[in-house]
Amino acid sequence: MFSFFKNITGQKAITEEDLAQVLANMKEHLIKKNVAADISTHLCESVAKNLVGQKTGSFKTIRSTVKQAMEASLKRILTPKTSVDLLRDIGQSQAESRPYTICFVGVNGVGKSTNLSKTCFWLLQNGFKVLIAACDTFRSGAVEQLRVHVRNLNALGQNSVVELYERGYGKDAAGIAKDAINYGKSNKFDVVLIDTAGRMQDNEPLMRALSKLVSVNKPDKIIFVGEALVGNEAVDQLTKFNQALKDFSGLQNPRHIDGIILTKFDTIDDKVGAALSMAYTTGQPILFVGTGQTYTDLKNMRVSHIVQSLLKE
Amino acid sequence: AALAQINKEPVIDAKVLDVLLKEICHALLEADVNVRLVGNLRNNVKNAVKIQDLAAGINKRKVIQKAVLDELCRLVEPGVETFKPKKGAKNIIMFVGLQGSGKTTTCTKLAYHYQRKGWKVCLVCADTFRAGAFDQLKQNATKAKIPYYGSYTETDPVQIAHEGVEKFKKEGFEIIIVDTSGRHKQEAELFEEMIQISTNPDNTIFVMDATIGQAAEAQSRAFHEATKIGSIIITKMDGHAKGGGAISAVAATHSPIIFIGTGEHIHDLERFEPRRFVQKMLGMGDISGLMET
Ligand SMILES: Nc1nc2c(ncn2[C@@H]2O[C@H](COP(=O)(O)OP(=O)(O)OP(=O)(O)O)[C@@H](O)[C@H]2O)c(=O)[nH]1
Ligand SMILES: Nc1nc2c(ncn2[C@@H]2O[C@H](COP(=O)(O)OP(=O)(O)OP(=O)(O)O)[C@@H](O)[C@H]2O)c(=O)[nH]1
Ligand SMILES: [Mg+2]
Ligand SMILES: [Mg+2]
Repeated sequence: MFSFFKNITGQKAITEEDLAQVLANMKEHLIKKNVAADISTHLCESVAKNLVGQKTGSFKTIRSTVKQAMEASLKRILTPKTSVDLLRDIGQSQAESRPYTICFVGVNGVGKSTNLSKTCFWLLQNGFKVLIAACDTFRSGAVEQLRVHVRNLNALGQNSVVELYERGYGKDAAGIAKDAINYGKSNKFDVVLIDTAGRMQDNEPLMRALSKLVSVNKPDKIIFVGEALVGNEAVDQLTKFNQALKDFSGLQNPRHIDGIILTKFDTIDDKVGAALSMAYTTGQPILFVGTGQTYTDLKNMRVSHIVQSLLKE
Repeated sequence: AALAQINKEPVIDAKVLDVLLKEICHALLEADVNVRLVGNLRNNVKNAVKIQDLAAGINKRKVIQKAVLDELCRLVEPGVETFKPKKGAKNIIMFVGLQGSGKTTTCTKLAYHYQRKGWKVCLVCADTFRAGAFDQLKQNATKAKIPYYGSYTETDPVQIAHEGVEKFKKEGFEIIIVDTSGRHKQEAELFEEMIQISTNPDNTIFVMDATIGQAAEAQSRAFHEATKIGSIIITKMDGHAKGGGAISAVAATHSPIIFIGTGEHIHDLERFEPRRFVQKMLGMGDISGLMET
């Protein structure tokens, strides 16, 4: 009872001091949910800025006012600003008789190849003919990994057509992607999915090579694959991938990441903060979340679910 | 920078300590250190220092710096003996960890490390789940000229682990390293499988990705409860990540970090150095002097 009355502020205007402790708690709460520390700080500061001077409704606690403001702010960040309809876009390029190309990029081991294969499954279900380009020519077993997926995917669907385009290891990835796209065009594939090697965002030679692959092949979509397990690095990864695409492209209008697949969502319980960090950093939509290791474990993100998990005590 | 700042403050009082601690804690949170561990550190340092109790003449700066560093080192070093393979015995080392953390890559790195030191080492691929897993291990092992065992047709990892270990034992190998598939605590069947594969290893190594955030603690604890972890390796330390998330594993498993992975190549494995690690975690190069005192 006491704590209930303690927080009642009635019609009083909210001051910074009123907010300080509540926001400090909120910030720690967000960090516990795996939101990047700096983003948590920024969010709390901007909530504070909007609330100072406002009148709280009677019987409304500062805490619930802050929570409400935070909820609105989280929802805004997570709601995609651009419409994403891959199927429609692919239909469009079908009409132009050229394959739609999607390039999967990201740091090591996040799930690029696996989620490329899940995306492939989804495209096959939608009746598209898909070519997978094995452009990770570095990591041991990368080509065989995709070969197994292609074999599985062909076996799964009655009329599915999916093929692997590979040139083994040690070759120039940009060149293989180019050949694959040409092959895809001549052989009437609807979509070409380009797998790339994992790379650390600070590794300049590898980031240059990725940027080259992108500027040579101009994929329709560049999808960044990031794992929900990642902490503060989410921000640095996305910032530097975008920066590299810009700085090393040599193009007038450089490219950037067009969308995100958030993987390993099944491994984090309610610590869903990486979704927020990634959306906040790029302003780009989270196209899918990976929720497991089978082909059907690719889902649309539910903004309300993420917001609820983030705010849940 | 926070710890260096302390040298510039003319007077050290409780307020300065508070500001200092706040900065350090923020740096640790940015490095993905578990929120609860950071909270503990803050309290422990405060208790250790007790500004008002410090008699005049005592160097308060030194006391604070030492308290912070002691706490940080306690976080990364559990103070237990590190596993050492025994000569003449058959040492079985099993690798476990989350998906994509770097197990397969690190297995070969470790095998190569021991091989160069003259041990008779081999690798067993008990991952029948991930597409291309056996090819990956095989290609790595071939490059490093390390004998390996695995199968394209057998789908039971328990069976393969058993066969591989028995075969290599008979052939007199001293260190047998078993690679397993990635798994996570939310899928009970995967954990059950891990327990079954684990036929009395002499050491179980938990591989953690340096980029991991706040989910690290719950996962580490679950792995340790299912199969007793003996050592930790943190991978991908060649990147920008500080690895603060991965140290949750130290608290959860009471096991030491033995190596860090610093690249994708076979020789990119370094001994874990607590001092350098803590420095990187604080985002500064300015505590080296302090740590020597
Ligand atoms: N639990 C879970 N595991 C996943 C998910 N997506 C991928 N994985 C697993 O993560 C591991 C790494 O996946 P890969 O697809 O090989 O990752 P990658 O990014 O292509 O890796 P590199 O090419 O080596 O950089 C595999 O064990 C996958 O099964 C997911 O959504 N949930
Ligand atoms: N930069 C860098 N990459 C690493 C390091 N260790 C592993 N990797 C990369 O991380 C990715 C995943 O490594 P794997 O060894 O396949 O991981 P895993 O734990 O065996 O994965 P699963 O078996 O699918 O669970 C690969 O691209 C590796 O090359 C490291 O220390 N630094
Ligand atoms: Mg891959
Ligand atoms: Mg593996």
